[in-house]
Amino acid sequence: MAQNYDRRRINGPEDSYPPIFEEEEEDTLSWNIAKPREGRSPQDIRPIFLQPGLINQANGSAYIETDKTKIACAVYGPRQSKTTTFSENGRLNVEVKFSPFSCARRKAPLRDAEDRSLAVSIHQAVLSSVRLELLPKSTIDVFITIIENDGIEGCISSGTIAASAALADAGIEVLGLVASCSAAALGDEIWLDPTEKEARKSEGTLILACMPALGIVTNVWQSGRMTVEKATQCLDLCQERCTDIHAVVAQSLLETSKAS
Amino acid sequence: MSSLSKAEKSYIQSSLLSKPPLRADGRALYDFRAVALETGVAPLANGSARINIGRNAHDGGGGTEILAAVKLEVETVADGEGVDGGRVVGTVSCSPAAYPHLPSGALDDLQHDLTSVLHDTVSYLEKKSWLLNLDVIVLSDDGNVCDALFMAARAALWDTKVPRTRSVEYQAKKAGNNAEGNRDIEMDEEGKSGFDTRITKKVTDFELPDYWDEGEILDGRNIWPICVTLNLLPPVFFLDAALQEESSIPLRLHLMFSLPPSEKPRLQTFRLLGPSGVDVPLIKSLIKEGEVHARSIWTALDAKLKDEDIRRNQKARDRFLHR
Repeated sequence: MAQNYDRRRINGPEDSYPPIFEEEEEDTLSWNIAKPREGRSPQDIRPIFLQPGLINQANGSAYIETDKTKIACAVYGPRQSKTTTFSENGRLNVEVKFSPFSCARRKAPLRDAEDRSLAVSIHQAVLSSVRLELLPKSTIDVFITIIENDGIEGCISSGTIAASAALADAGIEVLGLVASCSAAALGDEIWLDPTEKEARKSEGTLILACMPALGIVTNVWQSGRMTVEKATQCLDLCQERCTDIHAVVAQSLLETSKAS
Repeated sequence: MSSLSKAEKSYIQSSLLSKPPLRADGRALYDFRAVALETGVAPLANGSARINIGRNAHDGGGGTEILAAVKLEVETVADGEGVDGGRVVGTVSCSPAAYPHLPSGALDDLQHDLTSVLHDTVSYLEKKSWLLNLDVIVLSDDGNVCDALFMAARAALWDTKVPRTRSVEYQAKKAGNNAEGNRDIEMDEEGKSGFDTRITKKVTDFELPDYWDEGEILDGRNIWPICVTLNLLPPVFFLDAALQEESSIPLRLHLMFSLPPSEKPRLQTFRLLGPSGVDVPLIKSLIKEGEVHARSIWTALDAKLKDEDIRRNQKARDRFLHR
């Protein structure tokens, strides 16, 4: 912990607690089994806003917004690997950082701003789409900044979409665009693209990342309790929705490349 | 983990794909190496287990060795950390001796990855509550750490005993009494189960009538999940990969199942790892196959754990009598 301490910052007290707000009546999701989902139908996802090429100095970048989830992603590279050892395949580094104000509770810079499990999941999702065998001795860095967070599931799936779009924007050869979608099991129903509150109510969640153009699944990340039938049902629903997301990503990439 | 040359990798892959499939140690594709398990190895923990997969029968060395221990703590809910009803924190530490070739940064990353898998899987389950610390140490790695991790965790949790609690309150006596015996201790005489420390209205603290090695077994100890790792080398898959096999395959599928006899089988965690992809129909069939293999691991582990219970209680008592 000592080396993770930046004396140039105003660090604030060592122990602090976030203020507790009185929860408003409509704010608490008063859902119980047999009630329909509030705001949208179970298989609806939140609208996606995707803008590639927002960060000028990066080789490729993308900004994604799905309702309350806001993520910026920058891709640098391919550039020469710093290590001296020869590597036949290129390396893909993914780093995910939370901005301090992204969650209900402050994420202290340096200390808990970095989330490795998110980075591992997104890395797994994009890794098999990138043609790393064409880039020996080189490294591609993907930096993802979470500006606003509405549930870890949304962060992983939106982060994956942004990373894949940014890689395409950087002109790095990929086998296909990676689209990703999450699902939550509540009672008998399956809700796609759950918000943080919905995910907290659910028994289990599943995140699927795939390349819809090739029909290949690159990442599955399920947590919580689910029956096997439910999990396979989630897989099907997510894959179906990924095809739609793929169209959104392709469209926005096309528009950006036409505009420039 | 270990670095293999391309030639070695292709040798292992082609022998796995040959008919009949061949593995370096002569096992069939779905065979496990010998698993050795012992519970109650850490006397100061509330529950513990040690597991070894693939120990060499001749010299007693080698294999994946994992030590798991459960330590219970009491925490205050009002501070924000505690949760009403108790919580579970899983941690995995990897001994540097198990990974001599890894730099410390990579070791931290590996530790973190294993911790997040364990923690996410086991923690899905206000005043004062128990905090269950599940600490797992990887002593040596000879492949298939994940399966061993969950077997050890399940064994340790199975072995865990929660001390009974009794709620107490210290209060000043009402006016009218004389000065002597000014403080009175009020007790709630019911011996409640360990995990239920949600204290009645006015009681502020509790005491433990048990010694550290007594207590009740953890409620619902039957639902703790186990993991089965399917190592994919399409079109085949195999179980319990040794270290070299592990580094020569493109894709792994971790399936954590909870298979209590009274309920439907549940999938607790399900993850895909590796630089390759699969299609959805294959995943579905793999989940089905995984469930079958998970069930056989589950049954074997259950039998062994019951055996361990008998060994440590009944047989130990008999031996004490006939000494």
